[in-house]
Amino acid sequence: MSVLLQAQGLSKRFGGVRAVRGISLAVQEHSVLALIGPNGAGKSTLLNLLSGVHQPDSGLLEFDGRDLVGMPAHRRVRLGVARTFQKIRLFRQLTVLENVVAGFHLRHALAPWQYVIHGAAFRRDAARCRSEAMELLSFVGLAARAGERAGALSYGQQRLLEIARSMATRPRLFMLDEPAAGLNGAEVEFLLRRLEDIARRGVTLLVVEHNMDLVMNVAQRVYVMQYGEQLFEGTPREVQANPRVIEAYLGGEFA
Amino acid sequence: MKLRMGAAVLVVALLPLVLQTPYWRGILVLCAMNVLLALSLNLVLGYAGQLNLGQSAFFAIGAYVSALLVKNAGWNFWLAAAAAVAAAGALGLVLAAFAARLRGHYLAIASLGFAVITYQVLVNWESVTEGVRGIYGILPPPGFGSQLALFYLVAGIAVVVYAVLDNLVRSPVGDTLRAIREDEVSAASLGIGAAKWKAFAFGVGAAIAGLAGCFYPGFVGTLVPDAFNFVESFSMLAMVVVGGMGTMAGPVAGAILLTFLPELLRGVGEVRLIVYGLALTLAVLFLPGGIVQAWTALRRAR
Repeated sequence: MSVLLQAQGLSKRFGGVRAVRGISLAVQEHSVLALIGPNGAGKSTLLNLLSGVHQPDSGLLEFDGRDLVGMPAHRRVRLGVARTFQKIRLFRQLTVLENVVAGFHLRHALAPWQYVIHGAAFRRDAARCRSEAMELLSFVGLAARAGERAGALSYGQQRLLEIARSMATRPRLFMLDEPAAGLNGAEVEFLLRRLEDIARRGVTLLVVEHNMDLVMNVAQRVYVMQYGEQLFEGTPREVQANPRVIEAYLGGEFA
Repeated sequence: MKLRMGAAVLVVALLPLVLQTPYWRGILVLCAMNVLLALSLNLVLGYAGQLNLGQSAFFAIGAYVSALLVKNAGWNFWLAAAAAVAAAGALGLVLAAFAARLRGHYLAIASLGFAVITYQVLVNWESVTEGVRGIYGILPPPGFGSQLALFYLVAGIAVVVYAVLDNLVRSPVGDTLRAIREDEVSAASLGIGAAKWKAFAFGVGAAIAGLAGCFYPGFVGTLVPDAFNFVESFSMLAMVVVGGMGTMAGPVAGAILLTFLPELLRGVGEVRLIVYGLALTLAVLFLPGGIVQAWTALRRAR
């Protein structure tokens, strides 16, 4: 296995708050890494650094041997970096299908004039996008809702739609920010199956998550953050047994 | 779709037969220009979601550049028009540079400033624009001297522009612009570089407004800065919003309604801006989807 994503000494501060301090981490290709930690540990900020929503103040970041520092978010997608958001960011006024089709932005094979004069190539491209998008919607169980406005979906369905939309970019590294937040038990179970499927397709996963059931089931490695720093890294079993992790989560008296 | 387009072309072709007085035919020409202007703003405002109040500046650039190149440099009208469209498009890219950094109200203020500055340049750069004294004796495009011919020309161009934009917004470019309108951060997570696509929308929108501007001087015969006061940006805004922004039919309906309505009420004095302001306010309050929303609701109810 090779390292797909490598960070060294990543730091980011917002005013006086040092949200991420000297984080180093390596994500193995075709693996599933969970990123956990108490609220405010800097997990989402780290994800924003990795995906390019924010740029680090210092540190190194490489994806498949390519330097990511300074590269804007939309360019990283071209390399195969995709993500979802903790606070769901769908195109709420667009339909469920249109949301996924927007994810094909980088994958259209059309000459510029074909956007204005629609010929056979245009119709082929549109049909391919549509059928692939419908496949992705079936994958997350939303095919029957394709024509509805995304904003009309339930919370759990919106999370799944975000996953389908990101998958349309054909990611190599897929980072999910708390995909199980706000989901009920059955939905978490369904999400778990889908994440396993995605991993089986060869996509490397980085999952920020609070739901320990999900983390322990899906992840091979777990990276624990606290106060913007690395607290521990190991297998799910090692993490569960580590007194410092337990202390961080439950407070000193339980350690 | 093809049927509706054919019906629209037929209506355009037959309209001058119904409205035969020079006065009403003049209004028809104006209406065709307004349709072009509303379509141009709608690409930026309705699809890309950028609150642009500087559109009157591009209309002005189209008018002045084409008229001056014909009158002072002796250019052929169509060559001058091509240069004017290019100039307006280039200026659109300048405004897009602001839009890359500004959002919502801030972009609205910056673009409004852009329109005010353009107007002030027209007023004060007298050695070129003749300032408020204006430029006189401007001829219509050669071969389109009658109002009837000019109407068919501008309306024909509007139909072509409509067809091109309609295809464009139903292509992946439309998906991309709507994604930017809905959520830029989210769009970026799908590989969409918002700055580039905003520049595209501003550039194309500005070029179309510039194209409309090319026909204005020859239609009126004179060119004064007041025709391009920043208030005209609000006229275009009213047409787009009242018609229904982010739809193709909306801005056309809005432009037609807001061109003819003030003319029908002309007995009441200078009512144009009152009508525009009132229509805009009522639309925003009670019908955010404009005429298109009302039309859709009516058809569903039946």
